[in-house]
Amino acid sequence: MVVSRPAIIIYTKEADADFLREVCAGIEEEGVLYQVQPREGDLDTLAWEAANESMLGSGIGICGARLAMQMYRLPRGKNVFELDMPAFWQCRNLGANSARAIKKLPFRPVTARNGERPQ
Amino acid sequence: MKLVAGVDIGNSTTEVCIGAVEDGGGLHFLSSASRMTTGTKGTLPNVLGVRAALEEAMDRIGLPVRALALVRLNEAAPVIGDTAMETITETIITESSMIGHNPATPAGAGEAVGELLWLDNIQRGRPGVPYIVVVSDRFSYEEAAAMLNHYMQELDIRGLILQADEAVLVENRLRKKLPIVDEVRRIEKVPEGKTAAIEVALPGTCIRMLSNPYGIATLLGLDAEETRLVTPVARSLIGKRSAVVIRTPHGNIRENVLPAGHITFHGTQEKRINVDAGAEDIMRALAEAREIRDIDGEAHTNVGNMLTRIKTTMADVSQEHNGGVRITDILAVDTLAPVEVSGALAGETCMEKAVGIAAMVRTQQLPMREIAARLEQELGVEAAVAGVEAVMASLGAVTTPGAGLPLAMLDMGGGSTDAALLQADGSVRTTHQAGAGELVTMLIQTELGLRSRTTAEQIKKYPMGKVESLFHLRLENGAMQFFEESIDPRYYGHVVLLAPGEMLRVEEDIPMEKILQVRQEAKRKVFVTNALRALREIAPGHDLRSIPNVVLVGGSAEDFEIPEMLMQALAEYRIVCGRGNIRGQEGPRNAVATGLLMSYLARQDTGG
Repeated sequence: MVVSRPAIIIYTKEADADFLREVCAGIEEEGVLYQVQPREGDLDTLAWEAANESMLGSGIGICGARLAMQMYRLPRGKNVFELDMPAFWQCRNLGANSARAIKKLPFRPVTARNGERPQ
Repeated sequence: MKLVAGVDIGNSTTEVCIGAVEDGGGLHFLSSASRMTTGTKGTLPNVLGVRAALEEAMDRIGLPVRALALVRLNEAAPVIGDTAMETITETIITESSMIGHNPATPAGAGEAVGELLWLDNIQRGRPGVPYIVVVSDRFSYEEAAAMLNHYMQELDIRGLILQADEAVLVENRLRKKLPIVDEVRRIEKVPEGKTAAIEVALPGTCIRMLSNPYGIATLLGLDAEETRLVTPVARSLIGKRSAVVIRTPHGNIRENVLPAGHITFHGTQEKRINVDAGAEDIMRALAEAREIRDIDGEAHTNVGNMLTRIKTTMADVSQEHNGGVRITDILAVDTLAPVEVSGALAGETCMEKAVGIAAMVRTQQLPMREIAARLEQELGVEAAVAGVEAVMASLGAVTTPGAGLPLAMLDMGGGSTDAALLQADGSVRTTHQAGAGELVTMLIQTELGLRSRTTAEQIKKYPMGKVESLFHLRLENGAMQFFEESIDPRYYGHVVLLAPGEMLRVEEDIPMEKILQVRQEAKRKVFVTNALRALREIAPGHDLRSIPNVVLVGGSAEDFEIPEMLMQALAEYRIVCGRGNIRGQEGPRNAVATGLLMSYLARQDTGG
C-alpha cells in the first residue's frame, strides 16, 4: 500500500527553476508540506491532476514559465489562478495561496492592476 | 376629480404618493415612488430629489407632473448624528518605540531582550552582548539564514525582526530556534543600538509579557515612573500574536488627554452632566430636564465642539442667525472607538471608550416654505407645507390591515424616531426624537474601524456569510448554502454580505462573529432604547402598559432584524407590535406621504 503524506502536489514539465523555488517558499512560509514531481501533460492537466491526487485537495502545475493553481473538484481548465512569465512575488503568493486554500484563509493577490506589487 | 401628491422628505429617502380626490370626497391611491434625499433634510437642495420622485410616480400612471393639482410636503426637522468621544486619549510616541501586530506566520515562540543590530552591520557585533538582529528585505531568506548561522557561532543572537514575510522560511534554515517577528513594513524606522524586547506567542495564544506594563518593566528593567509611561503601549498590544517594544530612555512617550466636557440641558430644569459619566447617565439627565429648549456643551471640549459644529452647519444651510438654531433632543449611546497611537511603526490603534451622540436640530424658521416656493416655480403646481410628520405617519399607519384605534405608531427612519398615539376620538400625542438608522451605521463604522461608510451601511442592511470553500457559504445563523457554479476565488475565505443578486466582500479582516455582535448590539442600543423612550413619552400617564398595539413604519422597519428585536423588547409589556403594511401593499414605507393625502381629505371634510 502506498501511503502518501498530506501535501500539496506540484507537477512540473520543464519548469523554470526560479519560479518553482519561489512557489515552494510560499508554501513553506505557510507551514504546509509539498512534493514536486515531473510529469507529462499540458498546464491545465498538470494542475488538475495535482489537485485531484493531493490528499489536501490543492495542487499546482508548472509548464515552463507558466503556472496554474487548482483545487479538488473544480473542472479541468478552470484554474483558480494562472500566471504567465510572472514576477517572483506573484509565484510566492501563488504558492502561499495553494496553502491558504487548505487553511481556508483569504487568498493573497497574485496579479496587480498596474504591475506594482500591492501592499 | 383632482390629483394630489404627498411628499415626505426624510434624512435618507424622499417618498411620494399620488392620489385622486373625487368630487364627492372619495380618495383612491394611484402610485408611489421613493428616491434618495438630495442634500440635508429640510434644505433647498431637496427639491431635486422631490422632483425626481414625483416624475417617477407620475410616469407610472402615464401623466406629466403638471397634471397634479397640489403637492403637500411634510414639516421636516433634520437630525444630525455625530460622535463625541468620552475621553480621547491620544498617545504620542515621539521616537518609534513599538511594533505590535498579527503577522499571519511569525516563527518560534517566547521572548527575548537584546540590543538592536542591523544584519548589514553584523560584523560590528561584539561577542558576549545579547542582540536582536534586524533584517531588511534586501536579504533573501537564504542569505539571511546563512549569515546568521555563520555569526551565531561567535555572537549572542536572541531574536530577529524581519521586513519580508519570511519568518518560517528563515527559521527552518537556522540551527538555533529564536523568536522571529516578520512583516514589519517600515523597518527602516527601527533605531539601531537601542535595547528592545520581542515576544512571539504560541499558536492560538496572545502575547503575555509585552501586553503587561510590569512584563515590559521586567524585560527592559524600567523604574516605576517609566513603567507608568509605557502603560499605553502595553494596552495597545493586548491581543497581538507578536510584538516588539523598544526602550527609548528619555521618556519619549506622552499622553494628550482632551477633555470630553459637560453637556448642559436647558429644559424645565437646568441639568449639567459630564460626558464621561456614560450614555445611561446622560439619558437620565435628559429625561429629568423634561421639556428641552436647547442643549449645549462646554466650550473647547469634544462635545462642545461637536454641538457647536452642528449648530453652525444648520445655521449655514437655513441662512439663519446662529442663535436661532436650537438642539432639542439627543440620543447618547456607549461605544468603543479606535484611537491611533501616533508614532507607532505599524499604525497600531487601541480601543477607547466613547459616547456616540445624535442630535436633533430645530431652526426658528425651517426653510420648508422656500422648498415649497421653489417647487411651485419649477413644476408649475401649487405646493403647501402641511402637517407634523408624526401625525401624518400615524394616519398612514392606520391603513395597515388589522390595525385598529387606539394605535401607537413608531416611525423609524434614517435620522429620527417619531412616535404618535392616535386615539379613537381623533386626538393625537406625538414625539420626535434623535437617533435612528444613521446612528447605527456610524456605530458600526466606528466600532469595527471600517474605512468606508458604505461598507458600514451594507453591514447594517444585509445578512452575511463566510465563503468556506469554492462551493459553499457558511451563513451567519450557522446554515450552509451550496452553489452549482464555483464562487469567484476573490471571495474565498472572506466574510461576504448577501445583497440581493450579488455578494459584497468585506475588505477588513474581521471575524464574522465580531461583525454580527457589533451589528446587533448597535441596532439594539439605538432602536430599543429609542422605542421605549418614545413610547413612554406618548403613553397615557407615561405607562407603557397602557399602549395596546404598535405599528412599525419607516425605512428602518424594513430591516431584517430590527422589528423582531422590538417585538421581543415590547412583548415584556404585552404590547402587540409588528411591521406596518401601508395601504395593504407598501410595506412599512410611504406612511407619511400617505398620511399627507389622507389629512388633505380630512381637511376638506371639516373645513370645506
